[in-house]
Amino acid sequence: MASEAASRPFGRRPYKMQSFRIWDINQKTFYLRNDQLVAGYLQMPNTKLEEKIDMVPIDPHTVFLGIHKGKLCLSCVKSGDDIRLQLEAVDITDLSKNKEQNKRFTFIRSESGLTISFQSAACPGWFLCTVVEADQPVRLTNNLEDSGMITKFYLQEDK
Amino acid sequence: MLSCRMRPAGCHISTSCFPRKLWGAAFILCTLVMGVPAFPTPSAESTGATGNCSFRGKYFKEELRLEGEPVVLRCPLLRSYLEDSANPQHLVTWHENSSAQLIPVGEPRVQTKDDALWILPAVRGDSGMYICRLREASHCEEIAIELKIFEDAEAVLSLISYPQTLTLGADGMLMCPDTQDFSQDKGGMGVWWYKGPVLLGGAGGRFHNVEEKRRLLIVNVSMEDAGYYRCVLAFVHEGRQFNVTRHVRLRLHKQTDTVPVIISPLDTISASLGSRLTIPCKVSLGTSTPLTTSLWWIANFTQIDSAYPGGRVTEGPRGEYSANGENFVEVPLNFDPVIREDLSTDFRCIVSNTLGFQTLRTTVKEAPSTFSWGVALAPLTLVLLVLGGICLHKQWKRRAGKAYRLTTLRTGFQNFHSIPEK
Repeated sequence: MASEAASRPFGRRPYKMQSFRIWDINQKTFYLRNDQLVAGYLQMPNTKLEEKIDMVPIDPHTVFLGIHKGKLCLSCVKSGDDIRLQLEAVDITDLSKNKEQNKRFTFIRSESGLTISFQSAACPGWFLCTVVEADQPVRLTNNLEDSGMITKFYLQEDK
Repeated sequence: MLSCRMRPAGCHISTSCFPRKLWGAAFILCTLVMGVPAFPTPSAESTGATGNCSFRGKYFKEELRLEGEPVVLRCPLLRSYLEDSANPQHLVTWHENSSAQLIPVGEPRVQTKDDALWILPAVRGDSGMYICRLREASHCEEIAIELKIFEDAEAVLSLISYPQTLTLGADGMLMCPDTQDFSQDKGGMGVWWYKGPVLLGGAGGRFHNVEEKRRLLIVNVSMEDAGYYRCVLAFVHEGRQFNVTRHVRLRLHKQTDTVPVIISPLDTISASLGSRLTIPCKVSLGTSTPLTTSLWWIANFTQIDSAYPGGRVTEGPRGEYSANGENFVEVPLNFDPVIREDLSTDFRCIVSNTLGFQTLRTTVKEAPSTFSWGVALAPLTLVLLVLGGICLHKQWKRRAGKAYRLTTLRTGFQNFHSIPEK
């Protein structure tokens, strides 16, 4: 019975993976460079590089985040004292919240006005962020006071 | 990921003609004049004087800049410009590969600074491919970056501009993009924002120039704010002043999502044990699209499927409809049947979209029994009333008869007495 429930994690729930345009409050968008997610300013001919963020809600507060139609997922990986954001080649629709090993892919979303922030569930206190400088990797920060780190994003449904 | 547009011939020539450069990353120039642009293949291994260096092809992000302005090219092979610049274990060198014009070696107009290539200022002929080579202890890589230099004219606005998005009706900021190399501590003098010929940021208006952050604050963004903006930065380098211009195209985003509101069920639902029950969860979305809205039920914080694998309690099919321009989504929770355990279960309906979520708890309550003493005793009361009525009636009749006889007797008595008196 338990395996039956686990094999269809979203059951009859009409979950659709939703794709959003994402940009930080400094107007930087995401793109890939050397298989790394970076945030920067894109001129018109480069806008085709813009990465949309794919989201699957788990419960009211938590989501899985991915790019490339959910084929690459964002995760928080700890190694020693080092905490880093990683892109992993797993399908977002194969993730189930009940599995402990999938916790690193889980992000707690919190809205504030029109902006949204994502905190890693596996790395409490660490938020998805960009830095003020352009063309730098998207990362995680636990310092919300640092004015060089941007943790607030805008989302727009991608039609 | 990298495009493969380079030709083998170009690769061989472009790498073999460069002299080996020492630490310090001086600008290296390939003095090649070719009839057509020449590019190396991504897979080619250069084996010239520079040693084995794998070529990654053309970087997919182009640089489009204006003539007469400073240009800074950064090597995209570095994972992080900030962190890698402090790492002395690598050497970045720059090589130009352009068919249009040659830049003499050592010309002060072109320099390398902190791994980046600076052109102060750029001319139309600087358009072309620039190859950056990253040499580390264990490996060497090259990548080509395309630089396009344009005349600042209306016609090229759609090409060179940076799209940025603000939400209608809200306050928002535009950013003067890709200007970090011209910051205050590096000789930046200030930023001015224009829309068309109009300088923005005067007192009392809706536009505020947040100069130190290179942002333009727009209060209560409206439809007429869409279009092209220009930020101009004054920059001084070795005593010479330059302007750095960036064009921003403002796109407006209408926030169509509204916070969803659960309008039913009620806090408590009455049901009889053993009977079937359906509790609809109905959500008003306003003008939001049901597409971005997820709606589901949980029982004691567990998904319904997992909580009731036997299927006694299930989520019904989702319904979407609209009425008077307002969208609604509905998902029913079906019980077949309701059992005592349900009375102590925490059922919650949850709705979530881009703007937020709402959850509503509902409790199943045992419906008051249909058996009522009042109803059960009604016939008995009626019988008793009837019987009582009959009794009273008989009693009354008996009393009435007695009284008549007494009256008659009394009358007779009177008559009796009256007769002798006569």
